Amino acid sequence: MRLFLSVVAALALAVSAAQAQTIRILMETVPDTRYIQELLPQFEAETGIEVEIEAISYIDMHSKLVPQLIAPEGSYDLIVVDFYWVGEFTKAGWLMPLDDLVERDGVDVDVYVPKLMDLVGRVNGVLYMLPFYNYSMALIYRQDLLDDADEQAAFQEAYGMELRVPQTWDEYWKQVEFFTRDTDGDGNRDLYGTVIQGQRGDCISMQWANYLYSQGGLYHDENWNPLLDSPEAIRAMEYYREAVEKYSPAGSEAYCFDEAFNVMAQGRAYSFVTFNILYAGFEDPESSEVAGKVGITPNPGGGLNGGWGWAIPNSSPNKEAAWTFMKWAESAAVAKERAMLGGAPTQAQIFTDSDVVAARPYYPILGEILAGTKDFPVFTYTTEFVEQVGLELNLAATGEKPVAEAMAAAQEKLHALLVKDGKIEE
Amino acid sequence: MSVATADGLTLAGRDRRFGLLLTAPGLLSLLIVITFPLFFTLYTSVHDYTLLTPNYDTFVGTENYQEALDEEYLPGSLWVTTKFVLASIVIEFIIGFAVALSLHATRRFGSIYYLILLAPLLINPVVVGLLWRMLLHSELGIVNYTIGLVGISPVSWLGDADVAFWTVVLTDIWHQVSFMAILLVAGLAALPREPYEAARMDGASTIRCFIHITLPLMRPVIAVAILLRLIFAIKTFDIIFIMTKGGPGTATDLISYYIYRAAFFGLDVGRASAMAAGLLVIILALTAYLYRYMNSLK
Repeated sequence: MRLFLSVVAALALAVSAAQAQTIRILMETVPDTRYIQELLPQFEAETGIEVEIEAISYIDMHSKLVPQLIAPEGSYDLIVVDFYWVGEFTKAGWLMPLDDLVERDGVDVDVYVPKLMDLVGRVNGVLYMLPFYNYSMALIYRQDLLDDADEQAAFQEAYGMELRVPQTWDEYWKQVEFFTRDTDGDGNRDLYGTVIQGQRGDCISMQWANYLYSQGGLYHDENWNPLLDSPEAIRAMEYYREAVEKYSPAGSEAYCFDEAFNVMAQGRAYSFVTFNILYAGFEDPESSEVAGKVGITPNPGGGLNGGWGWAIPNSSPNKEAAWTFMKWAESAAVAKERAMLGGAPTQAQIFTDSDVVAARPYYPILGEILAGTKDFPVFTYTTEFVEQVGLELNLAATGEKPVAEAMAAAQEKLHALLVKDGKIEE
Repeated sequence: MSVATADGLTLAGRDRRFGLLLTAPGLLSLLIVITFPLFFTLYTSVHDYTLLTPNYDTFVGTENYQEALDEEYLPGSLWVTTKFVLASIVIEFIIGFAVALSLHATRRFGSIYYLILLAPLLINPVVVGLLWRMLLHSELGIVNYTIGLVGISPVSWLGDADVAFWTVVLTDIWHQVSFMAILLVAGLAALPREPYEAARMDGASTIRCFIHITLPLMRPVIAVAILLRLIFAIKTFDIIFIMTKGGPGTATDLISYYIYRAAFFGLDVGRASAMAAGLLVIILALTAYLYRYMNSLK
């Protein structure tokens, strides 16, 4: 009996020791998560810490994270945070400040692109996250159509200007109009100038931001006074509505980025304003009919900045092991390996690293795109803002609400949320 | 006459005690999984409980209810939900009954028909939503391709507000209609044969048999089938979440997704609980009405 008890005790100890050396991470099912998974054996061999990555789809992440973050001890040691949860998570006090750990271990955080450090790194001077990957938005277009001599002549004829990678919004819009056509003469359009990802909520909110920046518009001024009923914002929405009506497939006001991606990947569109991380998918013959024919360039007037950061929740059961993992994943060598696999970098030197550029020649352009991006309003109620404004934008895009009226409503909603957050006075 | 036993209880009393003992585990788990969350929701609905400040320090009375009632898009969502519930139940009932009658009359291959019928019901609603979203893709989907072959111009299944509403209704019907059919076919199988034989003797037609015998005898089963589908339909969430996010505009913004947004995007669990409590009252009222109607048939 005594032997039995001591065996049980020994087993229990062994189990708890093994648990102490296992960390759990909640991540999204995206390519950058896959690259981490591919490199995991390295980490496990180096440190003896076992890593369990739970990868789920974006739509489930927020509602799965919050209960774990509220709990005194949650089930995740390490999490990844989308930029628009940053305001909420830090305001609620769910994330652990990393400044002491960075100082203790001498980690250099100046390697990160400052724009990403501001977005998914520091909040009010406190370091809560290390930027994991960036999904800044850009213009993806058909290089082969621009290079076509007949198209060039026809475009010159019609608009009196050269057909080239668009530098201004005006130039881009002429190309959008030019390439929208019925190529096989059956009476239905089958090549579209652009593809809209207009589904209510997140999808339209993200894409429309690029239209707003293209017109020189902003969500708010430096004192957080909302600017969504400005002439620039209204013009941006008019362009968006015009795209839905004339230049994008019917029904694209219900597309999210996956449906829109497929239209472009099937060769049915000239261009698509979307996340830079989708570019790798267009270049992959497995998922795209237009591999080798697409280019990527900054959205004229600036694109939306986006990114994810690694963070250790205060409810993390094993903070030290989580930090060990974070340091490993963000070390210069691993960050470079991830980029070689196709990951979207956050550290400045990787965009121009000679090995990375040799494997993926467009990475310097990704650096340029990131440098020209602008930030979405990040505050406590960003998630709700995306929903509320995403509805008004969608109502305007479908023509159910006049543009000016929808933008007035969007302005009112942003105003109310900023007041609720104490950013501005009533 | 009652017989006292050794412990001073009558036999009937011992039976009752034994019965209580047997049902206690069931009642207790019901108490834990239903009553507790229910009262917890009601308790939350009268507090300022948000995900940012998850505590019950601030009692706000009916403020959450008031705020919910003042919301711009809530009446629209309730109206869309009502239309959705009515449309899906009426159509499912008609199709379901037709299928049940044919299945009932089938002599051969019955199990094969059952298998085909049950297939959609066995698919997870999230998968159903994803499946149809792909099939109905306005540019690349197989549905628009197929109708294009016979010269019908492509339909914007999910992008046009009027069409999108019927698209989600039809998706729900595709998914759930066999539930109705199975319940009704079970009811048909249990009907007595004598009234039909008597009617035949008197020379009644099939249609007269259906109207004067089948329908009246089936009324309790019909009431149960409709009641169950009603409760499920009001709670529909997955296909909206996957297929439309309530759009285009507010065309498919069902109440369950509306409440979900208040809780998880708006972070306001107190207000979401207030709306959920309101919805519960509506469902309870409908259920009570149908239940009394069913009892009146006995």
